[in-house]
Amino acid sequence: MFEFFNQPEVIKTIVTIGSMMLFFVGLFGLLTRKNLIKIFISVAIMETSIFLLFIGLTFKIDSIAPILDSAHTDVAMMNDPIPHAMILTAIVIGMAVLALGVSFAIEYFKLTGNTDIDKMNEMRH
Amino acid sequence: MNLKRELPTTTLSGFALSGLLVLTILNILLQNMPTKIQTAGDALLKLNATEGVANAVTTVVVFFRGFDTLGEIAVLFIASLGIGLMLHSNAKCNIKVESNFMLQTASTLLFPIILLFGVYVMIYGHLSPGGGFQGGVIIASAVLLLLISHKEFEVPHSVIVALETFAGVSYVLIGLIGLFVLDTFLGNFLPHDISQMGLLLSGGIIPIIYIIVGIKVGSEMSMIVQNLIKRDHDV
Repeated sequence: MFEFFNQPEVIKTIVTIGSMMLFFVGLFGLLTRKNLIKIFISVAIMETSIFLLFIGLTFKIDSIAPILDSAHTDVAMMNDPIPHAMILTAIVIGMAVLALGVSFAIEYFKLTGNTDIDKMNEMRH
Repeated sequence: MNLKRELPTTTLSGFALSGLLVLTILNILLQNMPTKIQTAGDALLKLNATEGVANAVTTVVVFFRGFDTLGEIAVLFIASLGIGLMLHSNAKCNIKVESNFMLQTASTLLFPIILLFGVYVMIYGHLSPGGGFQGGVIIASAVLLLLISHKEFEVPHSVIVALETFAGVSYVLIGLIGLFVLDTFLGNFLPHDISQMGLLLSGGIIPIIYIIVGIKVGSEMSMIVQNLIKRDHDV
């Protein structure tokens, strides 16, 4: 029964729908949560869905890692290295942005004792 | 009183509709993708052999997109700087609790092993899965283990400053030497023969740059976790 899932179109459809579902889980959290930390975690979930989409869409059946050596020289059967490199960059940048945002949230909590975005009114006066 | 929680039907239907729209647009884009994009990876894999590096992802990150990686570690440095500025405290006291004896002994035993593994992943980044970013994060995790288990432990600030300065300056210097020797920024001016592929000393400047990236990422991540753990005593 698993031969059905071995078709490239089926795998790409599953990866696309799954990562889009994860993306909208993150977006829902981003729009409905009131806590600053939870908002940043939601952004991190959205980032993860994009990583999954990029890596999943370039997956080939029976392919190997893009590492050349004497035993593996068949370039056509290797995975595409470009999305891997792009996602490596994106993971590092996403981690830096998440850490900076969380540190802003910590500092805001230290100053005001508040993480609720509805109660932020420091700029109003 | 209505005890049932009301479902936000408008919001949920809006989400479903936008999800459907995004999926449709994505499908159209994927169907009409130019064939040059689909074969770009194979072309890069063929080019990769000329640099004499086994791991194609390393070649893409460090060589074909080397200037981009320089900007990326600059972004990481700016994030580390911002966290240090935000969470900086003059008070020299921290509220970390004393951990128990077993955790202290185990983390002291594990620290060199994790450090060694991080350095291994960093140095063999051009031959096997891994590289500077991954190795740097592993080293930072070893530092984090010591930070949460030892109350008095603190990464010396001068060591971090020296490592970061060394790594950043030598990355730019290697790029400039490539510019002078080969007329390209980050040109591979060291010998990179294809017959050497798979050996530790192969690939010219690519493993050197990845080790530099690893040093920079490791020191910056260690600084970030230390700044996030250290707190004022009044919070």
